[in-house]
Amino acid sequence: MRADRIFCDLPASALQAFETIKYATAYPKGAVLFVEGQAPRGIFVLCKGRVKLSICASDGKTLILKIAEPGEVLGLSATVSGKPYELTAETIDPCQVNFVKREDFLRFLRDHSEACFKVAEQLSEKYNNACHEVRSLGLSHSAAEKLAKLLLEWSSKNGEAAKQEPRLKLALTHEEIAQMIGTSRETVTRLFADLKKRQIVQAKGSTLVIRNKSALRVLASNG
Amino acid sequence: MASAIQTSCVECVSRSDRLFCDLPADALEAFNRIKTVSPHPRGNVLFREATPARGIYLLCEGKARLSVCSESGKRLTLRIAGPGEVLGISAALSGTPYEVTAETLEDSQVAFVKRKDLLQFLHDYREACLQVVHLLSEDLHVAYDRVRAVGLGRTRHPRVVHVN
Repeated sequence: MRADRIFCDLPASALQAFETIKYATAYPKGAVLFVEGQAPRGIFVLCKGRVKLSICASDGKTLILKIAEPGEVLGLSATVSGKPYELTAETIDPCQVNFVKREDFLRFLRDHSEACFKVAEQLSEKYNNACHEVRSLGLSHSAAEKLAKLLLEWSSKNGEAAKQEPRLKLALTHEEIAQMIGTSRETVTRLFADLKKRQIVQAKGSTLVIRNKSALRVLASNG
Repeated sequence: MASAIQTSCVECVSRSDRLFCDLPADALEAFNRIKTVSPHPRGNVLFREATPARGIYLLCEGKARLSVCSESGKRLTLRIAGPGEVLGISAALSGTPYEVTAETLEDSQVAFVKRKDLLQFLHDYREACLQVVHLLSEDLHVAYDRVRAVGLGRTRHPRVVHVN
């Protein structure tokens, strides 16, 4: 089982303190860790598995902000500020999570400045990601552009970027991809069909191969 | 601008109701030593998005617009920062490029701290590190609000209540 990377290289005293305040839990796929708008109970350190983070409107329209990977701390900004959770967190794999109650976490931060620093770093990363989303959602013109950007982003994550024809595993349905880029499932399906027809991508089961990286890049920058 | 530039944190009258500035005496003095204060006229760009993070900018007086830009030059405002706010923390902390462009909206007084000095300061003064964590959380909440607004075309869910 992978350890909580964020708190991995802390001094022994901090690690020991963390051990006493965390609750290790297993969640099946499709479990909801917390819901947007709820009062913050604490943080959820994702050790294993992936979690879908989304924002929802009152009419049910959903925007998926990102897919959290192991090492990420969920519910962080809410737990620190005391404001309600900003996002809904739902597992898309069976997950191992370390939960820490709010008061325990805040006390831990006050007592261990190295941990405090790590938390600041992770908040910075989330902020960076959120700004990226604002730019992407607010300034991209078309769904085709946003989809192209997303595929390029995903292919650069798992070390495939350098390859001539990067591969990526599609972990989300067309509906979920639509929720990530703010469009409809029908549009995403249509766009994929178009990309395949133009031989820009090729589907091999649930793996997508990017045949024409430069064409995809052109699509991603038509702003 | 008629008033003289307030350069000492220790004597600053606005200090106590500003989150970052409300530090214990020793941390405050240390911060005072590592900052440099300068006036910035309206329309000055403090830092540009995608440039390497040199340090943080504390708005002692004045206002700044934080925005992001597309390749075609179209600009989207993230928020307006007011006096007492610290800009560029996330980039300076993680050593990544600035995520936004910051431009003064009025004649401002800005305290700059180099990245290297900031990191040392945060390691030396626990209180300051905790303040930064709080500031970053606030920044993040605002960013999520903007994501909600541009992604869903609406502001915060009406049933949500702020718990402070």
